[in-house]
Amino acid sequence: MTDLILLGDEAVARAAIDAGITAAYAYPGTPSTEIYQTIADHAKEFGLPIRGFWSANEKVALEEAVGVSYAGCRALVSMKHVGLNVAADPFMNLAISGVHGGLVIVVADDPSMHSSQNEQDSRYFADFAMVPCLEPASQQECYDMTREAFDLSERLQVPVLVRLVTRLAHSRSQVQLAAPRLPNTPNYVADPSRFTLIPANARRSYGQLIDKQAPLSAFSEAHPYNQLTVVGQGHTGILVSGLAWSYLREALGEHLAQYNVLRIATYPLPVKKIRQLMDCSSDVFVVEEGYPFIERYVSALGLLRERRIRGKLSGDLPRMGELSQDAIKPCFGLTVARALQLDGLSKVLVGRPPQLCDKCPHSDAYIALKEVIAELGVGVRVMGDIGCYTLGYLEPHQAIHACLCMGASIGMAIGAAHAGMTPALCVIGDGTFTHSGMAPLMDAARENTNIKVFILDNSIVAMTGGQPTMVSDDEVIQLVAGLGVARDHIRIVEPTAHKKHQTMATIREELAYTGLSVIVARRACVTYAKEIKAIKSHKREIPVVAA
Amino acid sequence: MNIDLVIAGVGGQGVLSIAWVLDHAAHEAGLYLKQSEVHGMAQRGGAVSAFLRISDQPLSSVLIAQGSADLLMSVEPLEALRYTQLLKPSGWIVSDVTPMRNVPNYPAMSDLTQVLFGAPRLVAVDATRLAHKAGTIKAQNMVVLGAAAMHLPLPGELLEKHIAALFARKGERIVNANVHAFRKGDSASRFTSALLAAGIAGDLIAKVVSKVHFPPHPVAPDVLAAWAQRLRSPGAAQLIQGLQEHDDLTRLATHAELANQP
Repeated sequence: MTDLILLGDEAVARAAIDAGITAAYAYPGTPSTEIYQTIADHAKEFGLPIRGFWSANEKVALEEAVGVSYAGCRALVSMKHVGLNVAADPFMNLAISGVHGGLVIVVADDPSMHSSQNEQDSRYFADFAMVPCLEPASQQECYDMTREAFDLSERLQVPVLVRLVTRLAHSRSQVQLAAPRLPNTPNYVADPSRFTLIPANARRSYGQLIDKQAPLSAFSEAHPYNQLTVVGQGHTGILVSGLAWSYLREALGEHLAQYNVLRIATYPLPVKKIRQLMDCSSDVFVVEEGYPFIERYVSALGLLRERRIRGKLSGDLPRMGELSQDAIKPCFGLTVARALQLDGLSKVLVGRPPQLCDKCPHSDAYIALKEVIAELGVGVRVMGDIGCYTLGYLEPHQAIHACLCMGASIGMAIGAAHAGMTPALCVIGDGTFTHSGMAPLMDAARENTNIKVFILDNSIVAMTGGQPTMVSDDEVIQLVAGLGVARDHIRIVEPTAHKKHQTMATIREELAYTGLSVIVARRACVTYAKEIKAIKSHKREIPVVAA
Repeated sequence: MNIDLVIAGVGGQGVLSIAWVLDHAAHEAGLYLKQSEVHGMAQRGGAVSAFLRISDQPLSSVLIAQGSADLLMSVEPLEALRYTQLLKPSGWIVSDVTPMRNVPNYPAMSDLTQVLFGAPRLVAVDATRLAHKAGTIKAQNMVVLGAAAMHLPLPGELLEKHIAALFARKGERIVNANVHAFRKGDSASRFTSALLAAGIAGDLIAKVVSKVHFPPHPVAPDVLAAWAQRLRSPGAAQLIQGLQEHDDLTRLATHAELANQP
């Protein structure tokens, strides 16, 4: 065999390269991070002229890709599911304007919340925006469908969403690659009015998007992966999509031959095929990874009674968490296998949650912060944010009391201060700060809101595997000052055991001041020390203007 | 042929390196594979696992169903216990016995080994110490892989070839240490199976194997026979007591010699 062993994420990346992308953009987030990482590594290793980078955030990443598309070239954007919330504004409007060069957005959902704060299903976003969504069920399909997504995007001039889930993104199998093709030659969009969404143009473009729905439906109806297998009139039917297809085959094995089965791999839904399945089946099970998206449509929330639709809404399948072959088996009267039993197992089997690394600078920052807070008595709350330092919620620190979404800590502290909470404290990392913490800090600076913002500057985006941050060290100070924070109240502390008392004294001083303070806890991540060194030396080599 | 494997450990212990070696060996052997792994938050000192499914037929699911894994290998004893619900009742557990105590409520070692050593098919090795003796403590994962090797449908030489490929860029010394670590694990595993076949109780074997220093080659048949005889004799309890009291691993030959003494 000449094929490669690839992660689902890596297969997407190789497909994008072979589809002839000119650029790729992303913001790191589990389980999507390896997509852009693979593109960047592969392009570097083989000297491919693929542009792009880790963007400031997902919104910016998508906008950069739209620029590539406007110029007639192909681009890939990748992010985790909650990243699409950040990119929702360009995403919804790009659906209206349509694309010029092929533009594919890969979104990795995280059912079971392995490394996320929710398990939102990106198929809803594709449906909302009226753009097609492709849902691979194997590593090979990750490759083939990403290639196909670029063709579809250019043919119908729509952005295409490819939906992955954690178990697909982060599992490996053999993948056969197809012949690569060259990138497009730049050719600006002929009719710029399409991309100029003033109401008069937007109304016309929206009409065009509605007109595209018929060919998109035809695409789904004809897609070979959307395969309908009818074994007989009146048999139980199964509607299955995405990775659930792999679990269903495994769970049912040879029993699958007793059911009428429609597999769905592309959206908009192939309605005619669903109609055929329902016409020849008795009850219909809907087995899908994520929210009960298909089930809601075909059951009309239980309002239509012509067929009994069974799935997550009916309680036949678990409403939360990722599926597995074992979760599916009971629906079809199959039993789960008996496992090895060990006496006394439950008494010794304790959990092992993730934790901050040994000698992590965040630990020292939290120790100092908590000791100062303890001096103030009980009830002090700290708004947290997203990154390694979110682990400060757990033992032994238990130092943060909120974590909503990227960048929310500062806005929440402002609101808490307005509601009368003193002190109003928040903690945010250097990476998350530039992702979406700058705008709320401008709000606080404008009003000189009495909040204390701790920026934990460890010089790297550590949680997702060591991507470079936009700013670190003195750049953080310049940025914070530029946003309007008074220089006197931008303080730098070094989070080490050795300097703990100085750090605590600085925090006390700023707590005594009524107004906005930013305390930067500056010490490089210990785990990515080597990477940080490489990033910082590379920064010095960068020419002032990148052509 | 279809084999489901669970590989467990703590973030940073080399679970993914074991999976890498097995993936590439299976691929070279012309087999189909699906391997899932854990990235992200859990890698920060938390429990990590990889599921590997190898077959001569195309595979569908990346997950392993309850009660269907053939073998569970773990680089840490508590982590071995975390996935036993995936293991067939007849499945093998291969585990390092050195605890990674990074949680405050880590169970007492005696309680933990009592549960683990109750497994009917168990290779319990001190992979950490064996790796240290092989040249680098980091090779504890390769000891565990070696201890699983005889139960896998992949030849040992093929696994060693991919161990060498994985560590090639770190130089010859590291490659040799990892290959030696692998062979020590294999030696421990063959010793375990032979004693089980000789009718020795599983928990007694675990108590011996986890305290003995294995060579990077299979133990000689006469030494094995001497150990089997010794473990059947009334002095077995005292022998095991002696091994347990000795902090470091005991050299295998020393006790074989003892067994041969009148």
